[in-house]
Amino acid sequence: MTALAADRRTFLKGLGLLGAATLVPGCATSSKSPGSGSAASGELALQSNLSSEQAKAAMEKLVAAYNKTGGSQVKLNTVASEIFRTQLPTYLTSANPPDVYTWYAGSVADSYAKKDLLLDVSSVWDSMGNYSKAMQTLSTSSAGQKIFVPTSYYWWGMFYRKSNFAKWGVTPPKTWAEFVAVCKTIQSKGIPPIGIGLGDTPWVASAWFDYLNIRINGAPFHRQLLAGQGNFTDPKVKAVFTKWREVLPYFDPKGKSFPFQEATSALLAGKTGMFLIGTFFADSAPKDALDDIDFFQFPIIDPAVPVAEEAPTDGYFASKKVQDVDGTKKFLTWLATAEAQEIYVQNSSGTAIPANPDGKSADTPLVRKGKAMIEGAAEITQFFNRDSSDALQPTADAALTKFLDKPDQIDKILADWQAAAQKVFKA
Amino acid sequence: MIRRTGYHVAMGLISFLWVAPILWVIVISFRSFDDVAANGLGSLPHSFTFSTYKSAWEDADEFRALINSLLVTIPAVLLSLGLASVAAYGLARYSIPFRRTILLLMLMGNLLPPQILLIPISRFVELIGYYDTLIALIAVHVGFGLGFYTFVLHGFMRDLPREIQEAATIDGAGPGKIYSAVILPLTRPALAALGALSFTWIFNDLLWSITVIRSGEKMPVTPALLGLQGLFVSSWNVIAAGTVIAAVPTVAVFLRFQKHFVGGLAIGAVK
Repeated sequence: MTALAADRRTFLKGLGLLGAATLVPGCATSSKSPGSGSAASGELALQSNLSSEQAKAAMEKLVAAYNKTGGSQVKLNTVASEIFRTQLPTYLTSANPPDVYTWYAGSVADSYAKKDLLLDVSSVWDSMGNYSKAMQTLSTSSAGQKIFVPTSYYWWGMFYRKSNFAKWGVTPPKTWAEFVAVCKTIQSKGIPPIGIGLGDTPWVASAWFDYLNIRINGAPFHRQLLAGQGNFTDPKVKAVFTKWREVLPYFDPKGKSFPFQEATSALLAGKTGMFLIGTFFADSAPKDALDDIDFFQFPIIDPAVPVAEEAPTDGYFASKKVQDVDGTKKFLTWLATAEAQEIYVQNSSGTAIPANPDGKSADTPLVRKGKAMIEGAAEITQFFNRDSSDALQPTADAALTKFLDKPDQIDKILADWQAAAQKVFKA
Repeated sequence: MIRRTGYHVAMGLISFLWVAPILWVIVISFRSFDDVAANGLGSLPHSFTFSTYKSAWEDADEFRALINSLLVTIPAVLLSLGLASVAAYGLARYSIPFRRTILLLMLMGNLLPPQILLIPISRFVELIGYYDTLIALIAVHVGFGLGFYTFVLHGFMRDLPREIQEAATIDGAGPGKIYSAVILPLTRPALAALGALSFTWIFNDLLWSITVIRSGEKMPVTPALLGLQGLFVSSWNVIAAGTVIAAVPTVAVFLRFQKHFVGGLAIGAVK
């Protein structure tokens, strides 16, 4: 007992010394902290939510490259994505807000424009004539101003391991009937065909809703529904779930309990057959497995419906209260160049595609295939929350999780969903 | 004898259940990213590495975050306990008019859920020009702790014998001298217990730090840990390593003051 106590003391003494050592430089730096919070004139504050190691490093390289070009110096400030998401309204409404922010295109940016918090960047778009029509639409506010500068996008697809598909003797399906047949074959080998991860990440299920809706009812109907101009009790919405029920028996029953990152591990370990997910999942794959990964386009259900794909677009917007408007626009103009986007894409995980059509994406077969799929699509949607709002997403999570549990109660679930959505749209 | 063994086995199992999540975190913190990605979080380790600690320390800048945490926690603890002990001394040892009301008023502040004060505080701190500074964070912690600490110390000081104070007065000591030379030394057990408790509370706080601080380099260690999570994908092994590092100061304080920790829970329970 005494020996233990002595050990405890020595441990503490060691810690005390360590603590004292850390405090010395600490005091020196602390005296500077008050007042240095806001960016001085000639300096732009870039608030970034790209906090994962690789993305953060890529952002640092990007900012360093810009600062070398002269002009206003940009100061990068990275905060955890979760903190950023909850604090963004506070940042934008504060008296001295950061100047430029990483964010998403579409209605999630427009919701801030509606509150008159964003800088009109129409003049930045003068240099962006080569951007696609879809990108322009996504970056335009409901008041008709350009408020967003897109810099990259990624895609969603049905991912699988090539070696496993070869082992099971299946080939990537193109139509819904072929898809169901593939599911049957994989299930006959004793493997759950469709992986999913809904614990902690229930929004992953929205990808299924989005894709089935744009395949059955088309992208315009999907957008209207998400904008509050439709009704979730519409028979057309019910048709989505009727189709979904056809493949429900093929979903991995364990998928409800773990997050999508674990579902990725399950796919890679051959414990599930396919996984409808965005390319960001590749960041959580071991490097040696990446060459074995491929994807196919979400199966076509009704050939008469123009093909739409989900391509969530990322980029930047600026606060209305920026001090240095010219400097901010100059920085945004630079971010829109192919050169800047290549710096980011090369240094981040590599599955993002530059928004500038002249920007080169990573030269891998996977990215080439993804880029071709998006460029070939007649319509582009983003993702449930990005096409509606972060407030509507939880209503979808609740409805879809319940549907996966009790598919026979679909009428009640849709009525509840409509009621919950109504509240969000009215707010 | 059998009953005794049974008791120990049962209690051992229960303690293991308590410790298991911590052990799990420690095990994960030594696994490589590819191992976690390929085999899942729940599997047995297939790798052993210290690099997670290195990347938590260097890439995630946990060193700076820990310094920020200590720069906030230590002044906040000292200041709030100092102010609370003065307030408690006045309220407990002198018949100040409305002292009961004052005490209840201070305590009432603690009954409000902190969440409803988030926006007012963030706006107020901005108004007075201290938004995004550690000073703001210290002030918030002092303000929030004060009511409760005063209440606890008041209860403790009230029960100190009247005669000690009278003896000191006869010897010519004024209120200030009585406070510093007589009452404060006698209150040491309560101060130690509260100090240990408030240290863990303030050190582990997340809500206030993200409310009043915006710059990544000024964030204390709890939001910095959150920053290790990516937008979609998180390196759980590095997060586990970061968590283990972040737990060291509180564990150290606990070991140093563990006697008082338990004592602290019983403060005011028995008169």
